Amino acid sequence: MVNKMDEALGIAGNCRHYAMCKIDFLGTGVCASGVERGYVSFYPEGRMDLYAALAKGKVHVTEKCVEIAQSCDLCGKCDYQCCFVTGLRPTRVMEALKSHVARHLAAGKPVAHADADPFLQSIRRIVGDEWATNDRAIAVTYSHDPSPLAVPAPPRYVIMPGTRQEISSLLKLLGSAGIPWVVRGNGTNLMGFELCEGAVIDLNRMKEIEFDEKNWSVRVGPGVAAFELQREAAQRGYRVNVAEPAALVCGTMMCAGIVSLFSTAYGSCADNYIDAEFVRTDGSFFSLNEKNAPNLFAFDRAGAVSPGVCSSLRVKLHPMTGDESGALVPFDLLEKAIDFSRDCAMRRIGLAIGILGPEYLSSFMSPTQRTAVEVKDALARKLGIACMVLVLGDRYAMASLREMGHPMIGQGLFTVLSLGLPSLGTADWLEFIAGLPEEEPFGYLKGGGFADLAEAALCPSAWRLVRDFDPDLRPVYEEIYSRPDLTDLVWLNMFRITSSRIGRQKQFLPFLMYLPLDHTLIDDVCAGLGSTALRYALKNNLGFITPVDGGKRCVLEYDYFFDQNDGDEIDRVRQAAAEAGAIIDRLSARTGTIRWVKYIFQQGYCRKENLLYA
Amino acid sequence: MRQRDARVFALTGATGFLGSHLMDALIRKGRSLVILGRRRKGMSLADRVAALLAWFDVKDRGALVETAEVDLLEPRLGLERHQYDVLCGKVSEIIHCASDTRFSERTRREATETNVHALPGIIGLAKDSGARYFHYVSTAYVSGPGPAPEAPIVSRTFSNVYEETKAEAERQVAARCSLQATPFTIVRPSIVYGDSVTGRSNRFNALYYHVKALQLIRDIYLNDISQHGGRKSREIDIHLDPEGILHLPLRIFLARRGHVNLIPVDYFVAVMLSVLESPRSGRIYHITSDAPRTTEELAAYCERFLRIRGIETLYGEGQNGGVQNPPEEIFNKLVRPYLPYLSDTRSFDRTNTNGLAAGFSAPDLTYDVFERCMRYAVRMDWGNGNGKSDAGVSRASG
Repeated sequence: MVNKMDEALGIAGNCRHYAMCKIDFLGTGVCASGVERGYVSFYPEGRMDLYAALAKGKVHVTEKCVEIAQSCDLCGKCDYQCCFVTGLRPTRVMEALKSHVARHLAAGKPVAHADADPFLQSIRRIVGDEWATNDRAIAVTYSHDPSPLAVPAPPRYVIMPGTRQEISSLLKLLGSAGIPWVVRGNGTNLMGFELCEGAVIDLNRMKEIEFDEKNWSVRVGPGVAAFELQREAAQRGYRVNVAEPAALVCGTMMCAGIVSLFSTAYGSCADNYIDAEFVRTDGSFFSLNEKNAPNLFAFDRAGAVSPGVCSSLRVKLHPMTGDESGALVPFDLLEKAIDFSRDCAMRRIGLAIGILGPEYLSSFMSPTQRTAVEVKDALARKLGIACMVLVLGDRYAMASLREMGHPMIGQGLFTVLSLGLPSLGTADWLEFIAGLPEEEPFGYLKGGGFADLAEAALCPSAWRLVRDFDPDLRPVYEEIYSRPDLTDLVWLNMFRITSSRIGRQKQFLPFLMYLPLDHTLIDDVCAGLGSTALRYALKNNLGFITPVDGGKRCVLEYDYFFDQNDGDEIDRVRQAAAEAGAIIDRLSARTGTIRWVKYIFQQGYCRKENLLYA
Repeated sequence: MRQRDARVFALTGATGFLGSHLMDALIRKGRSLVILGRRRKGMSLADRVAALLAWFDVKDRGALVETAEVDLLEPRLGLERHQYDVLCGKVSEIIHCASDTRFSERTRREATETNVHALPGIIGLAKDSGARYFHYVSTAYVSGPGPAPEAPIVSRTFSNVYEETKAEAERQVAARCSLQATPFTIVRPSIVYGDSVTGRSNRFNALYYHVKALQLIRDIYLNDISQHGGRKSREIDIHLDPEGILHLPLRIFLARRGHVNLIPVDYFVAVMLSVLESPRSGRIYHITSDAPRTTEELAAYCERFLRIRGIETLYGEGQNGGVQNPPEEIFNKLVRPYLPYLSDTRSFDRTNTNGLAAGFSAPDLTYDVFERCMRYAVRMDWGNGNGKSDAGVSRASG
């Protein structure tokens, strides 16, 4: 029993708060109680936090706690979802939570009632009894964030409004009582900005998606996640430029203006939307298309305060053609990859471009961490790949890439490699072929021979790919990996369902910034952030680089990794992050061209040009 | 302080294939050596040399070997004045073996630095030390197309950067040594493989590279057949015959009929020792085989050794056989840089070499020799560091 408890606590403590359990990204379903009750507390993520708090004695068994535990039917869907991205098995925590509560009740121990609170009654008159609570079991699941920068803060109230009007009334009420509030996204934002001791407003109920195809737009409510919107758009033959799959579209827009590899073609910030409706902090309304609306198109380099709550966003729809495909172009030097990606962006070749390092690629491609380590070694050491440039585009873009003459991994070879990963680590032939004394690095990728030889050598199969998982998960994963989507570069980058694997081994702290697509400056940034991380003995990597605005600028992510349960490492990452921030600020002041996302928060609605050049 | 007449050889490239074998042979003859070289991958030159002495089983003669970490591109080889003076006081002859053997155009800068730009430093040492001889290890392939006399290079046509830089180096050796009145020799080995008697080698390039490639390709399809039903193999008519031999259709495309000139490293060493014993200044020596093998013969050796069948050599300019199967495509890509050496039509003059040791021809590359060398390579996992110990393989050579 002790071991099971320890195991459950270990799993719970490692929940990454990516909220992938709140979206049906695998098509295996979502926790039914979460969908029904709305609060994160009823999703696996919340139950993990709740169990950890109970086990550590930080919260009592309350009425909601009992409800949360008992509403889990141990269906196992969360295992499929969570294990896919993090390798964790949340069901073991769900079992532990249910046992904990069952033992508590069987022992006749008391169940704590939420404090009587007249103000809560006022809130409930706005949103309904069901959608506001001060129960500590709910509050604890909204109280922390694995980010080292977050300060845990159990909120007094958690509120889930269902309409714009309700948001307005709430803000008036909270404002009149002087109660601080914050709007929370689907999971967390890795910065701790979603924590507040007053009221946390969870917009998860506001999931309206209304297409206006003749105007190439879709109106989304603030509770709509990127994956949900992309899925609906794709079913109609469109694409939207959205962020991580579990991230809320409006929230991401507010935070960073939405960054994705598609930003190369679709732009960023105001490029992504047609209009947005807001509720001001005083409860009044405005939309950006009004002549007298606040000028959210401007950008202030010193940062800005929130204009209120975005209650709806009209997002641009982009057409998709039936001939889209992808390719990965390997490089032995980052400098060459930067030049190539800038060249593509300047020539408008491709819909989406991203420079990805071996850490990113291996994490995204590999179903398990063990495989990821082997794949990274194969890519970086055996093949000598410093990074790859991913380019998505139609057949004309792909033809242009071929004409440019770089060796590349096309969709066919990518599928072979993806499904043949288990054999990649032991592929001596790979290292040998990579050592071919050719004039051009990776020249062996030209022609079809390598792909075919790789297929013979790797014997790609979904069945073999999922052997690393626990036996009970294999049949479902085999079915999932047998779907063409799971190896389709376009689909994977539209839906980004594997991107959170970057935090599978350790939690990560990203540094995102806009800057010129210039290798000298990028080298300076990477060298500064890299050496700082090394001084604090932290794993670190360049994440990705995506050209924007025709290659004049790019978005760069650099990541620090840390164990979210290791106090010493958290201290170190905090110190390193402070120093890294100072480096970015210094470089920013020196060049005048770097825009750190820290200062973009709350300004994501601005014009890209104001952000990049003003 | 050693006596100058004790013949102390300064040797560069001693951590390479030819240089290391020469080092071994010289200290077995009781010669004193100063090994000039660099640290690599965090390993001091002394440690690298010590590892080689262990591999050659001559650690007990380590006292004959000194090392000096130098940079041939720097003035005074990168040494302090007094260190350089001490070095000059020791050295009586110089053997310059160090070389960048890469063919690729993209390594031109490195090849030029190592093969050409390093010469003034090392030849300067010959002058400053008053060396009795400067011996330069070149390559038989500097001579360009046509008959290859043991004479200074005339040709300006080269197959790759390696040949080009070695040719330039020969010119500079002759010019600089003549100018400073240092007697010199130039030796030109052809393609060198392991020891013909023991099969041992501490490098697995050139000939080994192609055999290893065929082995890896073979293993991919054997695995496909034995573990995965052979679907990919069937697509290109690869199959196992009843005797367990893999039918692997693989065409090698060559411009013309010719041969491959291969010599074992023990022969290279023997000729080099002869040159060192009785050098003639300005002489050039071809260390080549009188009985070069054809690609067909080598392919037959490979087939027999690897238990495969189906290698075919096709001739003709621009010949590529139309659609190539994947093993062909990859193998021919691999072979491409070596094509000039696989269908070589040159005949190497050996007048000077034969004058050194009359009747002393290179051992024939029979199947037995080939098999001995390849078995050793397989046992050593082609030098990947995963090989079994070579204990039991006799180190006695020649």
